[in-house]
Order: sequence, then structure tokens, then C-alpha cells
Amino acid sequence: MSEYEKYQQIKREARWTGLALFVLILFWIFAGFGLSGLPGEVLGMPVWALTSSVGVWFFAILLVKLLTALVFKDMELDAEKEAEQHE
Amino acid sequence: MNNGNLAALLPLLSFMAIMVGIGIYVRRVQARGFANNFVQQYFIGNHDLSGFVLAMTTVATYSSVSSFVGGPGMAWQIGFGWIYMAVVQVTAIFLVLGIFGKRVAMLSRKFDAVTVVDIIRERFQSDGLASMAAFIIVLFFCATMTAQFVGGAKLFAAVTGYSYEMGLLLFGLVVVAYTSIGGFRAVALTDTCCAVMMMIGIVLLLYYVLQAGGGYTNIMASIHANHPEMLEPLSAGHMPVGLYLTQWILVGICTIALPQSVVRGISYKDTKSLHHAMIIGTIVVGFMNIGINFTGILAHGVLTDSLQSYGGVDNIIPKTIVTAMPQALVGFAIIGPLAASISTISGLLIVAASAIIKDVYLHEQQKKGIVPTVGKLRLLSMSVTAAIGVIVFVIALTPPSLIWIINMFAFGGLETAFFWTLLLGLFWRRANKLGAILSMGGGTLAYCLTQGMGLKFMGLHQITIGITVSLLFFLLGAYVGKPQDRQVLAKFFPEKPEKKAAAVSK
Repeated sequence: MSEYEKYQQIKREARWTGLALFVLILFWIFAGFGLSGLPGEVLGMPVWALTSSVGVWFFAILLVKLLTALVFKDMELDAEKEAEQHE
Repeated sequence: MNNGNLAALLPLLSFMAIMVGIGIYVRRVQARGFANNFVQQYFIGNHDLSGFVLAMTTVATYSSVSSFVGGPGMAWQIGFGWIYMAVVQVTAIFLVLGIFGKRVAMLSRKFDAVTVVDIIRERFQSDGLASMAAFIIVLFFCATMTAQFVGGAKLFAAVTGYSYEMGLLLFGLVVVAYTSIGGFRAVALTDTCCAVMMMIGIVLLLYYVLQAGGGYTNIMASIHANHPEMLEPLSAGHMPVGLYLTQWILVGICTIALPQSVVRGISYKDTKSLHHAMIIGTIVVGFMNIGINFTGILAHGVLTDSLQSYGGVDNIIPKTIVTAMPQALVGFAIIGPLAASISTISGLLIVAASAIIKDVYLHEQQKKGIVPTVGKLRLLSMSVTAAIGVIVFVIALTPPSLIWIINMFAFGGLETAFFWTLLLGLFWRRANKLGAILSMGGGTLAYCLTQGMGLKFMGLHQITIGITVSLLFFLLGAYVGKPQDRQVLAKFFPEKPEKKAAAVSK
């Protein structure tokens, strides 16, 4: 990858990370406030209490997994490898 | 004063001894690196962190003693709404690493940068801005560190029965010692141990809280019967929607700009480590936040009286530890929260020291054309790190009474100062020096003033004012002021390859 391509890729990754945040916020609203009226219980607590805690957590892990698998790419971080050991 | 619980002290002492051991070990291992490029090695560990360590050190620095004491105490009072709010912190790791991780890593290699301020200086070509940034970092970090010291020592006193001063002396000096001896690498490794101990501590406490409370079903039944509001997101008005919104900004989105998190983008080895760290970090931060706050809720099985009778939210967790844990294990239970405290202190201490040594001292020397010897740098870096630690330690001995407010205040101040400067600076060509100066100075000032006067917008935390003002100032500066030089921009925003061929060879 050239420097230009790397920067384009980094911008792409940053954008997708922002998008993931947006999706997570929507899920968070749904899993908490959205489900708070639901009757019934799971594990002795209201449904929303479970979905808004562990549910959001698992959803976030899934999102990050998708990000790193589909959007993020490996690249060499050193533009000039020898820059490290000057002098 | 001395009728403390000795059994509670031994595990803690051994843990602290291991931490200092790591500091000394790391120093030996890095001897060659120290001789080669001391500043690089001491302040950032020479780009060498693996994904696991990167994740752990970022989480441990981010999670403070208040996430372990004040937070779950609030969960005890408010209920599941508090977990719902705390869970927004699962964003804290993947956002900062995903947005800034690679950007900062590549730029730091290009400019031989060791600190976030280095990068800001290169981007905006302004010594004034860099000095302001260094000043803000040192100031707000000292406030945060003091709060960590105080929180840790108070917890120590409440749980072990020994004095506040003794607690401070015990873990305070230890953290200052291993940080100044081993530098960033020691911070990263000890942070990793701390994060592991935090998780073990949570599991341990949860287990004993369940035992002491007569089992999960029992505790939940009692909450259903006595505190039904704890099962609602708004907790009968204790948890207003505005607070959720503020927390998203304050402990979620804007945390990407915290210099102590961003600087970790300089420290890792390769992109595989970064991707790894994003996943591990999200898992760990979620586990901790849900685990400890859930434990706080279940502590209702142990502490059944009213909040007043326990003397406030901050006493809930210490009381729970003492009541639920067997005497012999109290010493292990306290390691978790203290680990949260020292790992935040060490992370801030090394960055504060780097701001003074690298961003101020070395830069001044460089301007005069002086290259300090490695020996001199070593002595200075270590003494500055130790000195900051000792100063904060002394302040914590007679803590200002508003310390908890100061902690959150500092968090918001750092975010206001750095959010737009970093985000726009690194991803927007039009971002310029005037905008950054106005944004950092004006935003931080507006934030501090509104905090000081208690002014609020729609009842929301002042971070909303700070972050808005600093954005407006930034845009104003960007459109009124001159753009940065083309040469500077070319280094930050590479042009299409055909134009670039000549620039690569300089």
C-alpha cells in the first residue's frame, strides 16, 4: 500500500467505526428504553434489564468483530522501516 | 489506629511487591533501549505492545477507582438503569483505537513522536498550542491522580481498619516508584496485571455477595418487593433521560480524545495487535462495567438498610466487602479496586511526565540547539516522574473536600480541550492553527467557567457546553484564519501517488 492508499484506508476505517457507534446507539436505545415495557422476566429480571446490559455488550463485541474482519486491513506502520534505529 | 486487619494486608503487600518487581525487571530488559533512545523507550516503550497488553493497559488506565467504588454504589441506589448507563463504556476502547489507533501510530513513526502533543505541534505548527496542551494535560491529570489516590486510600482505610495515611503511603509510593523506574513499558505490564486482578476481584465479590445475600433468587425477590423502581430504566426519576445523554458524551463518545488513551496508539507493535486489542478491550471493559455494577445491585442482599444509614453512596462497596467477604479474603477483594486506582495513576503519571520532559524541556533545548546526554535525560525523566507523583501524593494527604467533583471535572475538561483538535486536526485538511488554539483555549475556558458558576444548559452536564463552544470556535478559526502550509498538509494528508513520487525521498 502506498501512503496515499493507507490514508484512504484509515479514513475508511474511521468512518466505519463511527457508523458502528451509530448502530450501537440505536441498538442501545432499542434494547433499553424500547423493550422496557415488555412484560415477563428472564433470570429474575425484566427483559430490558438483560438486553440493555449483557445484550448491548454482546452486540458491541459482534460489531467490533465485524469491523475488524470486514473493514480493517493490515498494513505496515513504518513508512521507512529504518527510521526506527537512526544513529 | 493500629488495630487493623493484618490478614488483609498480606495479599496487598505481595501484590505491590510484584508491581515494583515488574518495574525493576522491565528496566533491566530495556537497558539497551534506554541507552539507544531513552525518551522513546521510557515514555512509549518503543512501539512494542502486543494486542493483549494494549487492550489491558487502555482499559486499566480508563477504568478508575470510581468505576469500582462510587459507580456500583450508585447502582445499589438506582438499580438496572445504572448498568444501562454504564454499559455505554463498551464504546470507549474500540472507538479510540478504531478512529485514532492507526492514524496516530503512523504519524508518530513519521515524526518520531512520543506524545500526543508532539503530533499536535507538527500538525498545527504552533508552540503556543503545544504548550497549552501540555499545560492542560499536567493540570487535569494531577487533579485526576489526586482523586485516585484519595479514593484508593479511603477504600483501604474503610476495609482494612488501618489509617488513610498508611494506605496512601503503601500503594501511593509503590505506584510512583514502579512508574518512575520502569517507564511506559512497566506501566503497560503492571496495568495488565491490574486489569486481571480487577476482573478476579469482581468475580470474587460477586460470589460472596450472592452467598451472603442468600442466593440470587432470594436477592432479586427482595428487590422486586422492596425496590420496584430499581427495575425501571428511569428508576422513578432517579435516572433522568438527560443523564443518559450526558453520559454518552462524557464517558462514551468523547473519551476518544483523552490523551492518555490516544497516546496508546503510539505504543503498539503492528496492526494485528491493534485489531486484537479492539476486540479484547471491548470484551474486558464490558465485563468490568456490567460485573461490578451488577454486584452493586445485588449488594442489596447484604446491605438492607437505607442509604443514609451507610453514610452515602461511596461507602456501599467498602461496607459490602467487609460484610460479605470472609476475613481472610478481604485482602484479595481490596486488590481489585486498588488496582483500578494505581493503574490509572501510573498511566497518567507517565503521560504527565512526558508532557514536561518531551513537550516542554526537550523542545526548548532543541530550539537552542542543545542535545542533552542520555544520562541527563534519564535522571531528569525519572525525577520529574517521581516529583509529579510525590506532589500529588502530598496533596492527597490533606485532600481538598471537592475531590470527586474535581475528578469528573477533569475528565470533561480534557475532552473539551482535545476532542475537536484531534478529530478535526487529523481528519480535516481545513483544520488550522487558529481554529485549534481558539477551540482548545476557548472551549476549555467556557467549560471551566460554566462549571465554576454552576451554569447548565437544559440541566445537562457542562461537557455539552464545552464541546459545543470548542466546535464553534474551531470552525470560526478554520474559516477566518489561514490554512496550514501545503508542505505540512502534505505530510498529514498524502497526495495521490503520481504527485508524491518526488516527496518520498525528501
